[in-house]
Amino acid sequence: MVCERKQCASGDRTGTTALSRVTFTGQHCGYPEVGGVVTQQPPKSKTCKRSGCLHRIKYVQKNKEKDSGNMEGAPAKGVLSHLSLLEVKARSRKTQLQQQSRVMELKAKVEALKTQREQLKAQIQTHQDLQKLRLAMDKQCADEEEENMEEESENSKLLRLMARHTQLKDLLHAHHLIGGYDIIKTRKGKGACVSIATAYEDVFLDTFNLEIDLKPTVKISRHNIPPFIPLNNLAEQNNMQTDLRVFLDTLSKHLNAFAGRKQQLKLVKEKHKSVEVMESNVLCSLLVLLFTVPREKTAVLCTLDYTDHTRCLPTRVHLESEDKQLPDSPQWKKNCTLLMETPVHKALITMKKMGSIA
Amino acid sequence: MDNTVKRLLERLVRRIPSRMLKTTLDKWSRLTATQRQSIDYTESKWALTEKLLAICEVFGCSLTVLVSPWFHTDVIENPNLGMWHAFQLMDPQDDAHSVELTQFKEQFKSHLSELIRHVSIKIKKHTDEAVWIRIAWGDTFSRPNHLKPTYVVHYLQTPYVFLSSLTSKQKPLLSQALVLSTRYQAIKDANLSGRKLTAIRDLLMKQYLQVFPTKFPSPLAERNRVVSNLHIEKEQAGSAANRHQMACEAFGDGLLPQLQSAVYKLETKFRDHTNKTMTERDEPFRCVVKFASTNLLESLRHSASSGVASTPVTPLLSSVPLKGKNYFVITDNGPGPSSQK
Repeated sequence: MVCERKQCASGDRTGTTALSRVTFTGQHCGYPEVGGVVTQQPPKSKTCKRSGCLHRIKYVQKNKEKDSGNMEGAPAKGVLSHLSLLEVKARSRKTQLQQQSRVMELKAKVEALKTQREQLKAQIQTHQDLQKLRLAMDKQCADEEEENMEEESENSKLLRLMARHTQLKDLLHAHHLIGGYDIIKTRKGKGACVSIATAYEDVFLDTFNLEIDLKPTVKISRHNIPPFIPLNNLAEQNNMQTDLRVFLDTLSKHLNAFAGRKQQLKLVKEKHKSVEVMESNVLCSLLVLLFTVPREKTAVLCTLDYTDHTRCLPTRVHLESEDKQLPDSPQWKKNCTLLMETPVHKALITMKKMGSIA
Repeated sequence: MDNTVKRLLERLVRRIPSRMLKTTLDKWSRLTATQRQSIDYTESKWALTEKLLAICEVFGCSLTVLVSPWFHTDVIENPNLGMWHAFQLMDPQDDAHSVELTQFKEQFKSHLSELIRHVSIKIKKHTDEAVWIRIAWGDTFSRPNHLKPTYVVHYLQTPYVFLSSLTSKQKPLLSQALVLSTRYQAIKDANLSGRKLTAIRDLLMKQYLQVFPTKFPSPLAERNRVVSNLHIEKEQAGSAANRHQMACEAFGDGLLPQLQSAVYKLETKFRDHTNKTMTERDEPFRCVVKFASTNLLESLRHSASSGVASTPVTPLLSSVPLKGKNYFVITDNGPGPSSQK
């Protein structure tokens, strides 16, 4: 018989002897046991014999009323023991139920895990099919073959679309890595955010951003492009509504050229302190420099016009000097061509080496 | 040397903070080295002014000469005196983009002198490509008043002009001269004003840090973050980060341009069903709401990120940095602010 006390899993030891008038009930660790084993006399050992269990076994007299004649104690005792019997029965029923529901739970979990496994298997399969299709598509693009236009099932059409989607995403990522612009979706497909990176001579410079509303019409909602870049004009001229890519390409050209010119001006100021910058503007489309010719100490004023705002090189170079002959001299004519064809900070290095300027 | 020059000199010296006096006077090329050394900077400003007046008396000092270097220190170094108002040039002509400094200077001076006879114009280009113009207005009978000049700041190839201390009488004359010399067709009020020129300039030229949605919006979490209360962190971290992101997207990150106020003029119909007398009126309910702060954009951003203002930020508030305006007229037509001016 197992002790009903919750934590104790020990069996109790009671001895039974022949019934007599006086009976004793063994109460293992204070709790009545099921059934109520009776003994004739209290056994000699009072502790539970099971190894490791230190519970004392209490032996109480069961049929006390025969000796004492105490009428009130008897029904109370009987009721209490009856109540304890019922309690024990209820507890055993609960654990049985618990055990049952636990089994159901585990069965349900097994089912869920099985369906998850099926889903994952299907995903792996789709992924493998997609990769095969992508390989075929990439090869097709490289070979420039005509696409197979035979009847396709819904599944394979969907697969083809998904493959194309991943292809475009990879293309966009590659474009971003080489310094082009990057686009992401915002507001659940209703908008997009374009970030245009600028770079000059292998150095990344500022990044400009545009937030565009796609529905109902294509419209710029927010941007951090400086006001001297004619954004609205470019949007109109390049028909942003229908051809977003052309607009973004043109804008990227403008911004990159501006960043390049700005960087050139910064380098001229830093590296060529002997050359004085007389005039410049925020768009960096005009530069007026003052050169000093060594030895003669004559001053030469050089005006660089960058009228094409998509280029980093000037469209016009104009030289003026107190010495009227100087701009027409062959050396300075060469310098003029040099300034038209090389970025100004590099041209100045060459001109210094040649001895044209101090 | 007449009284106007004396008064002007006194006033200019008074405006310059004492610690900047030495640097200012060093920049004035009219004073020779010996004269500069003879000035004792430990004296009071009044004594200093007397000394300067004495020097100028001896060497003769015309008004224009006096004005030229002083205006640099007077306003360029202290651009936060008085209110600045932004204006926008509209409809550029084809050659507006290639206007260069000398051309602009000549054109502006000639146009303004044509419009008003006695006027003193000084144009100077600052290192950050800003063109500063100081105008002292006179009229047919009196000489230009140097004590109340108008200052104009313009960046060539941008459509914005910043004005300070301009009366309504002088405004049409100045507008005309500006429009003609910059090769645009019209000028209008940009509805942006503030005490700090750099703030309103940065706002319009978009020279503050703006935040845009990117592929990886939140930065990597630090490894050993110290959190004050784990429970609060668990519940609130996600929504706090979300609010912060939306607040930064609406207003910007880092140091924001310092605007002092935003004014909303309401011309909408009164809508409260418990108050019949007001709702029955036909004409709109006129009301002006003004937000004032030492740094308005910073306060608005903080109120959005702390949850006081609901996120996503309402267009009424986010229009301040988005449109670069701090004066709005709100009518019943259409959602959000529709400024008419």
